[in-house]
Parts: sequence; C-alpha cells; structure tokens
Amino acid sequence: MTRTKSCFIIIFILCFGIIFMGCPKKTVVKEDPSVQKEEAARLDAERAAKEREAREKEAREREAREREAARVKEEEAKKEEAARKEFEKSLVAKKTPGIEGEVFESSLLKSISFDFDRYDIRPGDMEILKENAALLRNHPRVKVQIEGHCDERGTAEYNLALGERRANSTKNYLVSLGISADRLSTISYGEERPLDPRQNEEAWAKNRRAQFVITAK
Amino acid sequence: MIKYFACFLIFSFFFLPSVEARVYLDINAPAFVQIPIALSKWKSVEKTPSTLTAKLYEILTDNLTLSGFFKVIDYSQLPPSLRDREGIPNTLVLREWASSGGEILLAGEVALKPDGLGLVLTCHLMDLIEQRHLFGKRYEGHLQNFRSMVRRIADEVVLHLTGERGVHSTKIAYAVQQGTGKEIFTTDFDGANVKQITHNQSINISPVWTPNGEQIIFTSYLKRNPDLYAIDLEGKNLRRFSFYPGLNVAPSWSPDGKRIALMLGMEGKSDIYLIDADGKNPKKLTSGHGNEASPSWSPDGKRIAFVSDRSGSPQIYTMTSEGTDVRRLTFEGNYNTNPSWSPRGNRIAFCGRVGRQFHILTIGVDGSGLQKLTHHGNNEGPSWAPDGRYIAFSSTRTGGSKIFIMNTNGSNQRPLTSAKGGESSPAWSIRLE
Repeated sequence: MTRTKSCFIIIFILCFGIIFMGCPKKTVVKEDPSVQKEEAARLDAERAAKEREAREKEAREREAREREAARVKEEEAKKEEAARKEFEKSLVAKKTPGIEGEVFESSLLKSISFDFDRYDIRPGDMEILKENAALLRNHPRVKVQIEGHCDERGTAEYNLALGERRANSTKNYLVSLGISADRLSTISYGEERPLDPRQNEEAWAKNRRAQFVITAK
Repeated sequence: MIKYFACFLIFSFFFLPSVEARVYLDINAPAFVQIPIALSKWKSVEKTPSTLTAKLYEILTDNLTLSGFFKVIDYSQLPPSLRDREGIPNTLVLREWASSGGEILLAGEVALKPDGLGLVLTCHLMDLIEQRHLFGKRYEGHLQNFRSMVRRIADEVVLHLTGERGVHSTKIAYAVQQGTGKEIFTTDFDGANVKQITHNQSINISPVWTPNGEQIIFTSYLKRNPDLYAIDLEGKNLRRFSFYPGLNVAPSWSPDGKRIALMLGMEGKSDIYLIDADGKNPKKLTSGHGNEASPSWSPDGKRIAFVSDRSGSPQIYTMTSEGTDVRRLTFEGNYNTNPSWSPRGNRIAFCGRVGRQFHILTIGVDGSGLQKLTHHGNNEGPSWAPDGRYIAFSSTRTGGSKIFIMNTNGSNQRPLTSAKGGESSPAWSIRLE
C-alpha cells in the first residue's frame, strides 16, 4: 500500500514537473510583456530580412533573365545582321542593256529546272523553292521577279507562252508557301536569254529554268 | 526640177499586136517546171556608162532567178554566136535565138539622159517557141530609182508569164541577234538594202507590218516587260501601245486593219485576245487551262488560226474571230506551232516537229493535204508573201539561223541575206509602192 502511494506521488510529481518545467518561459513571457515585444521585433526583423533577401534574389534573377534575353536578342540581331550581310554580300547588280531598271541576282536564291515543254514544278525543285521561301521570309523587304526561260528548241512565240507559265507556276508555289503575291512579279524571256548557248542536251537542260532577280532589297 | 524625175512612167508599145494572154506557168501546181528564159546583153545607148548597164543586168538576172519561176540563161551561157548580141533583136531574126536554150527571150537597152539623172529603160519580151513578140515597155525615171525600175521590169515579166504580178516591191522585216539582244531589220525581197530599224540594245522580237506598210510593230523588253511597240521604217517615232502585265506578243492584224489578235499574259498564262489598233479594249477569245499562242487571221477576216496545248501537246486550231467554233487542224506529230494563214486563204503554213527536227509544213484549211516543205536543219516562223506564192522562214541548215525564201511548193529555197546567222522571225510586207 505504501509502495503504491509513493509511486503515485512520484508519478504525480513527475507529471507536475513535466508540466511545470515544459513551459517555464511561457510562464515567464506571459508574465513579462517587454521581453515579448523584443522577441516580436526580432522575428519581424528576421522576416523582413528574409523577404528582402527573397526580393533581392528575385531581382537578381530577373536581372539575369533580362541580361540573358538581351544577350539572346543581341545574338539574334547579330545573326540577322550576319544573314543580312551575307545576303547583301550575295547580291550582284545585274544591269542589262536595253532593259529598264537595276536588279540584283543572289546566289542564295536558287533557280529551278523544267522538263522539255513542261511547266510543272519537279519534286526535287520544291525543296529549292522552300529554301527560297525561307530566305524571303527572313528578308521581308525583298521583292523578286521570277523569270521563265526555255531552251532554243521549238518556236520563239510558243516558248514565250511556256516561259510565262514556268514563271507563274513558280510564283504560285511560293504563294502556297505563304509568300505574299505582291512581292513576286513574273516575266517570260522565252528562248531569248539562254544561260548556255550550246546546242546539246546539257545546255538545253540548263536553259529550261525559272530564275530569280531581286527588284527591291 | 524636171517632173519626170519624181516617179517613173511606163509606156506600152501600142503598135504591137494584142495577143490573148497565155499563162506559161501554173504556180499553184504542186510541182512546176521552171521556164527557161534567155537574157541577152543589154545595150548602153549613147553615153550610158557600161557599168550601169552591167549593174542593171545583174539586178534583173537576180530578181528573175529569185522569183523561182525561171531558169535564167544569162549571156555567158549563150552560144558564141549570140553571146555578144546587144539590145533588142528584130522579130525577123528571132529564129536565130532558138539555139539559146530559152523558151522566152528578154532583151533591152539603157539610156542615160544627157543631164546624167534621167534614165530610160526599154525592154521586150519574146516567145521563142511561137516566134512572137509578147510585150515591149519603156520605163522613165530618176537614176536614184534605178533599182526599183529594174525590179519593175522583173515584176512585169512575172505578171506576163504567170498571170500575177511579182513581189519585187516588197520588203521583209526580221530580228537579228546582236550581243545579248535582238534588233529589228528590214531588207528588200532580193536581200538588197539591209537596214537596221531599232538601235536600243534591248530584246526586240516578232516584227509584223502595219496594214499600210508604213510601220512595223514588234515586241520589246525596253520597260522590263514584253510590250508591243510601233516604229516607222526610218527607225523613228517609237511608240508603246500595248503594255498589259505579262506577254504582249505575236500580233496579227485583222484584214480591215482595225483590230489586232495577239497573245496577252495578263492572267498568268498566254491567251489569245483582240485589241483595238491603239492597244485598247482587250477582249479574250480563248478559255481553259492551255497555253494559247501565235494567232493568224484568215484573209477574209472570219477566222483565226492559233496554237493551243489544250490536248496535251501544242497543235494548230482555228476559231471564229469571236472565239467560237474551235476546230483542231493538225493531228500528226506532237509539236505544231507558228500558224500563218495564206493570203489566198486556202492553206495554213506552220512549224512542226518531224523526228528530231522542226520543219515548215502547209495544210489545207479543212485539215487535208498536209505537205512538208523543208528537209534540212531546224526551220520555223513561216510568213507568206502578199501574193501567196512564197514563204519566208528561218532555218539553221547552214549553221546559224538565217532567213530563207521558198516557193510555196517548197522549191527554190535560198537564203535572203549574206549574214552568217542570228536572223529570225521574218515578216513579209505588202507591195510597197
């Protein structure tokens, strides 16, 4: 019995002790408002510091992002400038006696070829026209004239009709790729402007073409 | 100035018996035999320089040869007893000329007036088979019209022996390659008086004559578009009168001279249109997806021949001048272009691919009687003489492209000028006098 009693007391004491010792400060804080204020200020300061730190970090990050964006933009501008320079470098003024206006040729705008007495775009040449279209998209101020040419075989007048058709089917394909029609004019030279004056299959194949000249850069 | 210098006059010899005109040569026959004609030496009257007489003889020989109707026997080919006979023989001695080899004899004399400017040419034509006089004529004119006076004699001989005047007063316009461009030229029917009309270094192509023969219309790239221009024969008064976007090419005048059929490309492909003579009021005649090219009016103005690839290959078609009643004319071969309607109305000349070469062919307007006229090189651009008895065309048979002339049955093909090449698209004028 005594033993049970003493156990109970010990437990009681321990419990009390735990309760009592578990929050001794609370008891103190509650009992001392000045200390409480001090602590709140400290916490506020801490919070403020954290917030400041976060703001600063954010600002730094934003700055970094902006710097990066600027760098990318600059790089793009440089690239664009380089592309523009490359394009401009590729331009060769083409002055033809007896034909009004100065135009330019660019090695970056590639010609396409046609079969004899045909004006449909050949599958391989569609890829060439896609590249030409990309170039035109990258240089939105550029306007081109598409020249339709034929080989010397057949009659001059019918070849003028054929050249007209070759120039226009080339134009139509570029329009289908999203190039505005008012940037694309056409002209048929028929058989009057061969690239290669020889009279053989190789020369004829070269001469059956749609060729690009730049009328505005 | 003395009045007769302005033009030249012709006098017929009325004392001659009037003989019913006999046509010696049916030039419409698919194959005719050339008439052998002897040309005796011409006589220089009084102080006429013999060089002038020799020149006359040369021009006359050339022109009669060029007509294609004659086998010309010049004096160097005559037997020795006749070789040096000058002037006009008495009809009584015609029998002696039987040994000349000719069926016809042309003889004459030249007299330069004492003022050194007036010229009198007298000529006589005689039938050596029937031993009779055919005609005698006297031409008076200014020395500077010398060449055209001689051609007039040739024309008269052609008229008398074939039933229709010759084309010795016509010209041919054509394009000549110069550097990277082409210029328009004209020449007389015999290749004399080659004259450059344009001097602009551009591409000038497809000339045709205005109906009065006073101007040439052609396509030029001067303004970076193939536009239609007119220019006079002196190369002056250049005027742009059809400049729709795209092609303005291959004009053909309506016989009344009021309208022009041509190829316009304003819809992104070539179609046949009519425009007024001033280039206005375009009216589209063809429809569909084909390439339409090279219109040519019939001489009665009712129909137009043209090229279309609507069947898959270029072929010759005809339609009314309203664009209706389209009929396909050619079915042989897969490349028939360049139709040109004969001034006689019955046939159409065109350029067709035969094997690997391009040749001049003719076909009846009903599609019958296809005839191939050329056999060597590539040949294109047929243009009829105003009498319908000759066709000019370009040919590469000797290397470069040169203008040739032939009779419409394909005989007597010969180059027009002495150029080495670079000549194309001939257009024959009306008789210019």
